[in-house]
Amino acid sequence: MSKNEPAKKQHLDKDVEQSLYAKRQKIYPREVHGKFATLRIIAVFALLGLFYILPWIQWDGRQAVLLDLPARKFYIFGLTLWPQDFVYLTFLLIMAALTLFFFTTLAGRLWCGYACPQTVWTEVFMWIEHWIEGDRQQQIKLDKSPMSARKFRIKATKHAAWILFAAFTGFTFVAYFTPARDLAHRLFTFQLGHWEAFWIFFYGLATYGNAGWLREQVCLHMCPYARFQSAMFDKDTLVVAYDEKRGEPRGPRKRNVDYKAEGLGDCINCTMCVQVCPTGIDIRDGLQYQCIGCSACIDICDQVMEKMGYPKGLIRYTTQNTVEGKPTHILRPRVIIYGLILLVFASALAYSLATRVPLQLDVIRDRNTLFRETNEGLIENVYTLKLVNMDEKAHEFKLTISGIDGLQMKMEQDKIIVEGGDVVDLPVRLQADEDALKDRSTKVYFTLKAVDDPNLEVSEEARFVGPYK
Amino acid sequence: MDEINPQPKSLSGSQKIIAILWLSFVMAGVATVVFFAAIDPEALKPCVTFPEVSRSGAYTIGFLLFWLLTASSSILTHYFLRIDK
Repeated sequence: MSKNEPAKKQHLDKDVEQSLYAKRQKIYPREVHGKFATLRIIAVFALLGLFYILPWIQWDGRQAVLLDLPARKFYIFGLTLWPQDFVYLTFLLIMAALTLFFFTTLAGRLWCGYACPQTVWTEVFMWIEHWIEGDRQQQIKLDKSPMSARKFRIKATKHAAWILFAAFTGFTFVAYFTPARDLAHRLFTFQLGHWEAFWIFFYGLATYGNAGWLREQVCLHMCPYARFQSAMFDKDTLVVAYDEKRGEPRGPRKRNVDYKAEGLGDCINCTMCVQVCPTGIDIRDGLQYQCIGCSACIDICDQVMEKMGYPKGLIRYTTQNTVEGKPTHILRPRVIIYGLILLVFASALAYSLATRVPLQLDVIRDRNTLFRETNEGLIENVYTLKLVNMDEKAHEFKLTISGIDGLQMKMEQDKIIVEGGDVVDLPVRLQADEDALKDRSTKVYFTLKAVDDPNLEVSEEARFVGPYK
Repeated sequence: MDEINPQPKSLSGSQKIIAILWLSFVMAGVATVVFFAAIDPEALKPCVTFPEVSRSGAYTIGFLLFWLLTASSSILTHYFLRIDK
């Protein structure tokens, strides 16, 4: 091997690298109207509407949906969740993932095209852009023109509008974690906390960056789902596809000409499907991982077909099996399996939520002394009981003990009343006759029961320690 | 298809930064949720000598520390996976 060969190779690699690392070309998606575009507009309004309005809805005199991190309590309409209920959140996340898998198998990237926050916010940012900078041609022309007072004014207006919208988004995000009305009041009186201000800024910046600048790059390079969604695809999954058999050979033609006699297919090669694509791909090249299934190309192609007087659906939602002329199956093993697992998790969540006891009891033994002997000659252990009333309203509780014959309980107060959402520390002394203790350590049980609600009952095990036997 | 849409053989510089910062951000988020679901920052107060911070502050600092940790791990992994040309 000659000495300069590695150097040569290196040089070659570098060349290849440079050509592969083509600078990202800004994509100017042409605005599109049609059946699926309308569907997406509905999705944008429904989802963003929900996101922006929800923090302002009240329920029982408090914010309906509030993940109150400072107070460590989650309010979701009638339900109050505590950090102890973390398992429900895990369940919800697993169910969300399974739902995503289920729908991906059935209908492809529905999530990406209509519901993903990246799609939804990018859509709004593109509306703003379109509204201020004009349509695709005007945008391209503006970006090519040298900087002028007019260009600066237009660009500044666009970014100001984007930043304003992004800041409002950041504010709404924080309003889910700290009461919205209070937060708004503090915002307008310049009394925001440091951390609140930080997160409003952070989330606002992320929205501005992702929806304004990065756009399709988030789907191509940042999204984990985009990477693995193809694993859930099979030949019966609904995809956006170009009917190659019908369309090819593509080419321009005059209207009302018998193009079939000229050997042409239905595709007039107007490139509209490429112009409307938010990820800048050509759907006619076949199924690609960059395709987010937004179906903008379906809408625009249908319009072109209509103008040409050809049947619609040259680009359409279809399955690989249909394209190949085979029957499509909706119910197939992976759909049934995802569906069944989803059903199991949903029922388990519903059952555990329905039977959830909003009461918690922790028993902590006194760490300093194992036991002591009272003046009456009884063995005494000291405990601190931590009562958490996770219910919304106050309850009176009755505490009972068991485990040792003749076990007595001494407490400072005679009534245990815990306010809704309150935690109470309760010192308790247990006394037992030494003869009743069979071992050095005996199991005892504390049972806490609400006086007004027989379902509100918890039991907790603890140890009673005596002298060596 | 490859001629029309060439697939890069490796990631560009900015894509590497995104891959490191963004994925570590996601994992830091998960770690923060799990950690603070189990541990109340108020309960840590007797154990640490730290300027007075609110719970929200503790969550934020916790998140940023987790992010620092996960990002460091990603950067080190990236560094060790480098192939010298």
